[in-house]
Amino acid sequence: MRAEQRSGTLMAAPYTAFLLVFALYPILFALVLVFLRWDLVTTPAFAGFDNVQLLAHDGRFWRAVANTFLFLSIHLPLQIVTALSLALALNRPLAFRSFWRAAFFLPVVISGAVVAILWSNLYATDVGLINGVLVRIGLRPVSWLTDPNTAMPAIAAMVTWKNVGFYVIIYLAGLQYIPRSCKEAIEIEGATSWQRFRYLTLPSLLPQTILVVTLSTINGFQLFIEPYVMTGGGPLRRTYSIVLYLYTNAFAYQKMGYAATIGVALALIIGGVVFIQRRVIGKAEAV
Amino acid sequence: MPSVHFEHVTKRFGSTTVVDDFNLDVEDGELLVLVGGSGSGKTTILRMLAGLEEVTEGRIRIDERDVTHLPPRERDVAMVFQDYGLYPHMTVRENLSLGLRLRKVARTEIDRRVTWAAEMLRLEPLLTRKPKQLSGGQQQRVAMGRAMVREPLVFLFDEPLSNLDAGLRAQMRIEIGGLQRRLKTTTVYVTHDQVEAMTLGDRIVVLADGRIQQIGRPIDLYRAPLNRFVAGFVGTPPMNFVDGLIGSENGGAAFSAEGIHFDMLDRRMPETMPTGPVTLGVRPEDMEVDVCEASPDGSANGAVRGRVVLVERLGGTSHIHFDAGPHRLLAAVTNERLPEVGDAIAVRLNSERVHLFVGDQRVSSVN
Amino acid sequence: MKILKRIALYGVLALAALSFIYPFLWMASATFKPLTEIGSLSLIPDHATLDNYKTMWARAPFGRALLNSVFVAGTITISVLVFGSITAYAMARLRFRGSPVLNAATMAILLVPGQLTLIPMYTLIVQLGLIDTYAALILPYLFNATAILMMRQFFLQIPQSLIDSARMDGMREMRILFTIFWPLSKPVLSIVAIFVFMGSWNEVLWPLLVVREQQLMTLPQLLTVFSLGGGAGSVGVSLASAMVLVIPVVIAYAILQRNFIESMAGSGVKG
Repeated sequence: MRAEQRSGTLMAAPYTAFLLVFALYPILFALVLVFLRWDLVTTPAFAGFDNVQLLAHDGRFWRAVANTFLFLSIHLPLQIVTALSLALALNRPLAFRSFWRAAFFLPVVISGAVVAILWSNLYATDVGLINGVLVRIGLRPVSWLTDPNTAMPAIAAMVTWKNVGFYVIIYLAGLQYIPRSCKEAIEIEGATSWQRFRYLTLPSLLPQTILVVTLSTINGFQLFIEPYVMTGGGPLRRTYSIVLYLYTNAFAYQKMGYAATIGVALALIIGGVVFIQRRVIGKAEAV
Repeated sequence: MPSVHFEHVTKRFGSTTVVDDFNLDVEDGELLVLVGGSGSGKTTILRMLAGLEEVTEGRIRIDERDVTHLPPRERDVAMVFQDYGLYPHMTVRENLSLGLRLRKVARTEIDRRVTWAAEMLRLEPLLTRKPKQLSGGQQQRVAMGRAMVREPLVFLFDEPLSNLDAGLRAQMRIEIGGLQRRLKTTTVYVTHDQVEAMTLGDRIVVLADGRIQQIGRPIDLYRAPLNRFVAGFVGTPPMNFVDGLIGSENGGAAFSAEGIHFDMLDRRMPETMPTGPVTLGVRPEDMEVDVCEASPDGSANGAVRGRVVLVERLGGTSHIHFDAGPHRLLAAVTNERLPEVGDAIAVRLNSERVHLFVGDQRVSSVN
Repeated sequence: MKILKRIALYGVLALAALSFIYPFLWMASATFKPLTEIGSLSLIPDHATLDNYKTMWARAPFGRALLNSVFVAGTITISVLVFGSITAYAMARLRFRGSPVLNAATMAILLVPGQLTLIPMYTLIVQLGLIDTYAALILPYLFNATAILMMRQFFLQIPQSLIDSARMDGMREMRILFTIFWPLSKPVLSIVAIFVFMGSWNEVLWPLLVVREQQLMTLPQLLTVFSLGGGAGSVGVSLASAMVLVIPVVIAYAILQRNFIESMAGSGVKG
């Protein structure tokens, strides 16, 4: 159908152009930039593998990677447990069901910048709400964001708080899919609540759990606004994130080639980690 | 020996009564069928027995034990669901053994029982597969195996064959019946299909609107239905009904309706024969059809005149649809020579197999 | 016994819900508190004041930033809806060479982390001389892969007979798209509109890269710069600026929560 072909091509043309300029070109150029040294003002200079080598030995970069893994080690289990618990609590006929759901989901729609600013104030050592409550009940205040040992965990807790509503919805959707007859069958077969959870509910939610882990991991690696606003990467670079480093290299140091290299490295790391995660969880399913 | 007792069991949802004062004693080892249309309450009764629905009033006992308020897992019953309810993420073997694993039964015993059930249901080659790799009939058998393996006091079946196609249904009916006879476990079986009920049940409970219409052996329901509902529900094709009057004639009783006049001289119950308005019920298979040569006066003994509207040849049996006056009736015959559409026929009714209903109740005949 | 469990359940839920809402309530009340009261735990200020808002408004162009955000997010949303649906329609209902390639490319894009393309996009903008322009904020977001895939999926399910009879009536494809498909696509269009708008409304990193001029900053960007740069001077003022960003969202969310949840949970987009 010639007319259809023509219309289709015409209608898809703007998008195709867009893809070429804003998708294909940047991806390719990113790979090119890895081998360049450029400050946007002078002409780019060929740098061979310098950027890559520098990155491999860059303490700040690897510190950021380590920070991210620390973040994930707290954020992932916390996220799964909290989201799953809330979803289980919500998965029944309840009064005000949509209100609870909306309350949990509220932080998800609020801008990350606002949440970061809000929690900076909540965590503030002297005037923050959290320490205020702690003191009230007789505990010592904690320097949440200024103590190198508590800073990243504090951010991890905050990010969990922000996103948990999202994963509650995902788990709720998964829970709806468990056939009623399976739930009744396992009850008749003699399962206690715990046994029902362990043998039916949890295994049935495996796809959702994989999704939670994958999305939270990707999110964790892309952390930017939180450290940027709350700690600037400190204290002692303990909350420095990879994207923050990328941004600094581009915006502050004007090192485009190096920043691009960080970007590529990040993409590779994310890809690798997600791939391994899926393999591991896939194996757990087979067991 | 396990038997099940329902005592004044009532179930209400808000202001709607779904099951009304249900009383039943299920004998040990029998296969009892609860049959009825949708809304009859049959599934609710089963689920109350299972513990999946709360009982509003009344008691349920399994043997001497009052289980009315016990959760399902403490009742020692097993259930086969309409959509099988197999655990999708487990293999067949794991599905079969879960109940036993939950109760911490010894591994050797679990294996023994699983093997035994798998053999009986021909599931051996399927043990490592997952439910979605099985056909409907295979899933059905796994569901039954899962119930068997627990050696419960009572089997509960909730319309297990509804999701299967007709051929498979017939086959599975036989298997279930055979299985139950071998295992001798008390079984309560719910279905809307009266053929299933008639072929499987030791006894049948016919339900409508939450109330028992009749309890009895299949043959009793067939021969002596207590009311119009049961009479029309049991038997395929369904019974013919004609509203008319009983009057006296020639020293005996005769039934007359428009276009139909039927002498019941050879019926021997003059005292209890009702007079006045009745409904006549006669099963298609209790009618014999002769093709008329001339036009007789139509009051030959027990014969009804009719004109053929449709003839369905089903092989051994044929269904002849005919009009007698304003009434459309159906006769099921095994004649070799069949009338054509438009032919005049004389249909003889076996007066011993004819039923009379006053209001809804059947007035019992000699037999 | 069952009643006790129920009460406990509602108690836990209420506690949890509170923990998600309370910080925002505290934030709101803090904006009305004078400096001396910031640390207090009570929600009602002793001496409520609008000073924080006045200071904030005076110190940085928040009104302008609000307009910028509305303009940028609005333009992007309209573009995605209009141009995205044109593309989705072509991909779903028209057969043309390259259609499967386009489809595969769209799905592939979703796998690429944004940070990979961040720098090259930035250099592109610089080279095109578009730093500190609305174009820089809008152009890279004119099309949205997730949106296109969603709309395409939806369009696939509209019966062919509708298209055929429209064509026989002489309608051209664009006409078919906007007069037939659009009215039928309200669910997916509203889902797309919400998550695209919210994504743009909350976006910070990209504006931080390409816009330096205060007059052109978007609201979250200005808010961040203002709070970090010490322009706020006090917690109350900084939180007041956050409120400007949050209030419209909360109001929209309160009215349309079901749509918000459906849209953002369904598309995987978070604020």
